[in-house]
Amino acid sequence: MKTVSMIKKNKLLVLVALAYVVVLTISPEKAMSSVENSLYYLIEMLQVLPVIFLLTVVLESLVPKEVIMRGFGEKSGFKGNLLALLLGSISAGPIYAAFPISKTLLGKGASISNIVIILSTWAVVKVPMLANEAKFLGVNFMVIRWVLTVIAIFAMAYITGKFIKKKDLPADANKHMTLEIRADYCIGCGLCVKMLPEYYEMNNNKAVVCRSPDPKEALDLVKESIIKCPSQAIVFSEEEKAS
Amino acid sequence: MDIFTIVFWVVAIVLTIVSLLRNKKKTFAAMKKSKGMMGNMLSDIVAIIFLIGLVLTFIPPETIKSVLGSANTLMSTVVSALVGSITLIPAFVAFPLVGSLVDAGASIIPGVAFLTTLTMVGVVTFPLEKKEFGAKFALTRNVLSFGFAIIIALTMGVIL
Repeated sequence: MKTVSMIKKNKLLVLVALAYVVVLTISPEKAMSSVENSLYYLIEMLQVLPVIFLLTVVLESLVPKEVIMRGFGEKSGFKGNLLALLLGSISAGPIYAAFPISKTLLGKGASISNIVIILSTWAVVKVPMLANEAKFLGVNFMVIRWVLTVIAIFAMAYITGKFIKKKDLPADANKHMTLEIRADYCIGCGLCVKMLPEYYEMNNNKAVVCRSPDPKEALDLVKESIIKCPSQAIVFSEEEKAS
Repeated sequence: MDIFTIVFWVVAIVLTIVSLLRNKKKTFAAMKKSKGMMGNMLSDIVAIIFLIGLVLTFIPPETIKSVLGSANTLMSTVVSALVGSITLIPAFVAFPLVGSLVDAGASIIPGVAFLTTLTMVGVVTFPLEKKEFGAKFALTRNVLSFGFAIIIALTMGVIL
């Protein structure tokens, strides 16, 4: 059971490892050069991720929610968009480094449009990269591409903001989750305990919840157990934490 | 490490110290929360990195060059945008590559499409983006980025 949930949690890693095994058996050379190619990115990750970690910590502990709401929230308007553009542009590292920062900002009330701007500019607009582009393709080329890209990013932010609402995003740590089993409904079949021994256990022939769910790791699993329960005894609710 | 990354390190460390001095308890609570969030992403990030290595081996820069330089501009623009979406080659490789093609007389449209999707659309990072922001968000952002990359490329073809 434990290995299954481990594999489920690290699905992508398992898939990539399998791909490497396949390539290794067919052509060891290709596998070796793939590892070599990855090294550059591995070093980049080691340089950037610790900084991202510290920055999310600082954002969380030093910056009050109201400041983020005012700066990047739904009502921040065009000024908020410009601020997001600036934040994305002075960033370091690849796009996945923007994910933790964006998540923290979202949790503190930033709007979806501004998150799109931060993610996109983080990926595309980087000062060292602009210099590089000007060097190889000319200043004209670089400036025009930059202007068009910024316009495109603003348009995308606007469209995505219209399309996607906060409820479309996965539940995050801001939500308070409660999971319980109604004892008078539970028939003691033990199905949930078999499915998720980390969360349920048997007590006097009735299943009880022994741990509150971690929204990121087990939400899907918990929801599955709710559907599977034959007597629909498991209740799950989430509400916005007042903070 | 480039100067930007170094500045980032310095800023992050200084701010962390400020945060610790101000409120130790709150800072540690924030660290715990961030550790949980990033710990969840870490296995995917490592997977993505090794996936990039694999993709680079099977779609090397030489192949990309032949796609970008092909005669049929419309076809090669779409294919270049697709290749840019899948691969993630470093910028210091991508710019000289496109530059040498343009110098050799190839159309700039496929090159721009490639450069733009290279950074804006992430097929490889899609699973992680989906997990963290939801399928609808990730799909909308990536599809829009792809479409706009083609528009940017065509516009640049007209202007330049």
